[in-house]
Amino acid sequence: MTATAPAIEVQRLSKRFGTTLAVDDLSFSVEAGKIVGFLGPNGAGKTTTLRALLGLIRPTAGSATIEGRPYAELDDPTATVGAVLDGGMFHPGRSGRNHLRVIALAAGVPNARVDELLELVSLSDSAKRRAGGYSLGMRQRLGLAAALLGDPRVLVLDEPANGLDPQGIRWLRDFLRSLAAEGRAILVSSHVLSEVAQTVDEVVVIHRGRSIEQAPIGELLAGRGGGVRVAGPDASRLAELLRADGAEVSDGHGGAIVVADRSGEQVGALIAANGIHISELASAGQTLEEVFFELTSDEQPEAADDEQAA
Amino acid sequence: MSGAIRSELLKLRTTRTFFGIVIATLALVALIAGAQAAADSFDAGSTPGVDLLDVAGLAQPFALVLGLLAVSTEFRHGTITPTLLATPDRIRLMIAKLSAHVTAGLVLGVVAYALAAILMWIILPLRDIPTGLPVGDGVEQVVGGVVCIALLAAIGVGVGAVIRNQVGAVIGGLAWYFMIEPLLTAIPKVGGWIEDYGIGGAIAAVSDTQFEGGAEIGQIAGGLLLLGYAALFAIAGAILLRRRDISA
Repeated sequence: MTATAPAIEVQRLSKRFGTTLAVDDLSFSVEAGKIVGFLGPNGAGKTTTLRALLGLIRPTAGSATIEGRPYAELDDPTATVGAVLDGGMFHPGRSGRNHLRVIALAAGVPNARVDELLELVSLSDSAKRRAGGYSLGMRQRLGLAAALLGDPRVLVLDEPANGLDPQGIRWLRDFLRSLAAEGRAILVSSHVLSEVAQTVDEVVVIHRGRSIEQAPIGELLAGRGGGVRVAGPDASRLAELLRADGAEVSDGHGGAIVVADRSGEQVGALIAANGIHISELASAGQTLEEVFFELTSDEQPEAADDEQAA
Repeated sequence: MSGAIRSELLKLRTTRTFFGIVIATLALVALIAGAQAAADSFDAGSTPGVDLLDVAGLAQPFALVLGLLAVSTEFRHGTITPTLLATPDRIRLMIAKLSAHVTAGLVLGVVAYALAAILMWIILPLRDIPTGLPVGDGVEQVVGGVVCIALLAAIGVGVGAVIRNQVGAVIGGLAWYFMIEPLLTAIPKVGGWIEDYGIGGAIAAVSDTQFEGGAEIGQIAGGLLLLGYAALFAIAGAILLRRRDISA
């Protein structure tokens, strides 16, 4: 591992299944300490990309590396990267605890760590029950526990919010935030932008196996006249603070301000930190969801413009 | 490597399948060996000891099924993904699975022969029937039989990795054991060769050592032939597993 290698690096990755090109010349990277959302509609090639990254699928061309190396060449894979992939991943007749013990033995992780993780994901009480009887949320948490067994520096999660209720999604969001704060790199895929929008630092949007965009969330919005609209008695003070932080702030009507390149969460954090009084905080212009739909719709924006011109 | 093998052994111990197979084997051996020891008239010239120990050979198809499930169950439930994440080297994984299932096969074989022997020692003296089996011959028969059961588990692991579909692997493997190979021996010319040197021929040579008329090849040669078949399927299974994209 070289010191400069990013936690995750996908370079010109392509994968062909028969006549279908599932991943087409895809490139992106994830740095340590960052949470990157890997977004695209179902069938966009997200799972194929993640499986190629984990050495489960052989790329047709290009490479996918973790800390500069292909998965199969990692010295201690379980301590380097943990993964939660879509699908069962466990034997329904085996208890949750035994599922983790099986992986721990192969990975050389002590049993004490198994119990520690069961505690962490709140599965201790059901640990000795057959996993086939677990609810969807419990299965996702069991998967997370398995991914964390080796205390990995990199996490790869495929649709981890699938099937979780709003409470579960909130729990997951806080959990991922705390893991990233410890310096881990996290790549999390989703086909529903709103699930990850408040969690991720950056997004990689793919469609039909191709990368459309990799950018911090704020930038993604800024380029499209989006942003956050804030109104209230202290709006002008907030504008000063934001400008001091390098944000692009413009005055809206009625004393409101529009922040072009910060997410609602970022602005909210600043408001809370400085005890600012506001009366309204809303997305202005295109919402992230709208940008996502625009990026991943089959009709290219340019083509639509051409039609208008004609 | 030892971690991967211990992980495979733990997999075997933590579902009901392995215990179900052991219990079914022992129940069948107890039923048939017990009934035969208690009721067979054992005419003059018969070999009661050999016949009763041979009942333990019923463990063979059970060991085969155990092996067939090793890889196919991982694909059935998608556990192949976490398994390969922890052990990315697929050749290593195959070796670990082979080691664990040969061990399980040895255990299954030992308990099956032990049960048959215990029933023989308890029931035959009650009826004043001598076993008619010298100790040396008995040891040869038991060792050959146990090795044969372990190697059938190994063959199962290889075949299961080739077929991958759980139901297909079990049905295909059992069909070969009980029907297809016995039918092939009926083909003129090649049939005789299959009977002597096919998997069934190798099984007979290594396990049915006291069978009258005997197999065409000796016990050691039979064991090596069966080992060769196990290696062939294991290599084929490992090569296919290595090339395969794991997408579910």
